Amino acid sequence: MMYTFYLEKDSFLHSLDPRTKIIGSLSAMVAVLLFNHPAVMTALFLLILIAGRVLGKVEIGEQLKFLKPLLPLVILTIALWPLIYRPRTLGLLFGASFALRLLTLGLITILLLATTRQRELIRGFVKLGLPYELGLTVSIGLRYIPTLYILANNIMDAQKSRGWEVEKGNILVRLRKMSAVLIPLIVASLRTAHELSIALETRAFGASKKRTFLRDIKMRRRDYVALILILLLLGTAVYLRYSLGVGYVRIYG
Amino acid sequence: MIEVRNLHFAYDGREVLKGIDFAMGRELVALVGPNGSGKTTFAKHLNGLLKPVKGKVLVDGMDTKEHTVAELSRVVGYVFQNPEHMFFEETVFDEVAFGPRNLGIEGEELRKRVEWALKAVNMKGYESRSPYSLSGGEKQRLAIACILAMKPKYLILDEPTTGLDARSERSVVNVLKSLREMGHGILLITHDMGLVLELAERVVLIHGGEKVFDGPVTDFFSLPLTNYGLSKPELLNLAEETGVGFVRTVEELVGALEVKLR
Repeated sequence: MMYTFYLEKDSFLHSLDPRTKIIGSLSAMVAVLLFNHPAVMTALFLLILIAGRVLGKVEIGEQLKFLKPLLPLVILTIALWPLIYRPRTLGLLFGASFALRLLTLGLITILLLATTRQRELIRGFVKLGLPYELGLTVSIGLRYIPTLYILANNIMDAQKSRGWEVEKGNILVRLRKMSAVLIPLIVASLRTAHELSIALETRAFGASKKRTFLRDIKMRRRDYVALILILLLLGTAVYLRYSLGVGYVRIYG
Repeated sequence: MIEVRNLHFAYDGREVLKGIDFAMGRELVALVGPNGSGKTTFAKHLNGLLKPVKGKVLVDGMDTKEHTVAELSRVVGYVFQNPEHMFFEETVFDEVAFGPRNLGIEGEELRKRVEWALKAVNMKGYESRSPYSLSGGEKQRLAIACILAMKPKYLILDEPTTGLDARSERSVVNVLKSLREMGHGILLITHDMGLVLELAERVVLIHGGEKVFDGPVTDFFSLPLTNYGLSKPELLNLAEETGVGFVRTVEELVGALEVKLR
């Protein structure tokens, strides 16, 4: 079962400073948002997938497994575009393209989380100038995604045992049926959040203004090299997109 | 009859159940084993929440692979460990009615079932309360009523007394006893050996994904339980030390001792 995204491995990505990885991830996201051509999106998706395997030693299968929860959105995207865009074949291509963009953005986030420990991630955010509380909030949020996923499954199992079936009925009926899962999920989440805040306070969270850190992070040579490469790649992407007009198709008008 | 044949199951390639054979009818079976031994995974196969990787699970002849959980819920009821994971209605009445409604029961029959289920768990008069306003023991009993209202022949209860105070625990135990008298087959997952001693007719011990014991409760307590992370109730130790042998309750022990001393 999946409790956190982090995977303990000895890889190049794991050895980088979290700041490098945060900047790298943001740059990759910007690059993905620059383009919308289906071929370019496919290439970028595969590139990130391979980079995750080669640089982060995260198996392709593992990466795809993490993306599985996005599947409904992907299907919806691919199905909706041809409905609202004409000619339909072009709509389908755009749908596929945006679905791939979504998957690539997801993949980038997952690779950041799979190769960076939570405490290092917070440290990275703080060193980049974010307040500690914000860094903590972000990482707690990320930390609880898998937990909520498991909880939701558990609740669905409990309701299935009471003869509940989501598959039956039209979309309105289905939405109403979802309340059997959403209400217990929200109640349990609020309860967890409340308990977490008490746990934080009992450990004197916020007691002193200045926090100290047991493990500090340090930029090494490989980080600077990686950063230069990242910025060069991003620069190339911007150049391709804006000066050469590669990889972008006008959708409207 | 619930029949399990050579059940194998794996999570992400890790084998959790390694070939379990099991059968139960209308009896009270305690399912015990240390944390992570595969008890819950096993139990979730009995109402089709999990489908076997290899092997077969038959519920009154129905293969769980060919039926949905909703269909199987008419025969096998599963009471989850945390009652709050199922509550979402505004009143106790609607909460209990949710299951039968899903089975297509309406009107007078529905009202009767809810009333009957609430009475069975000693909660008559709670109909218009909010499920979230109840105490721990009441929540647990309500959870049982929710499943009971669907009139399943078999009930699976996952640690129904964990975290309850003594009085609430008694209230749940009494419900279990009366369900047994009503003729339900009950599979009780628990760590409480006192409860096993008091209630179980038969015990199944799972350890490391394998069934290591399946037999009457008397034989179970002569196993070297500490090897499985379990321990014998003090009552049984006392009975053995005083040469009485097997007893289930304090009253039985006192009775046997009185006979002995006379």
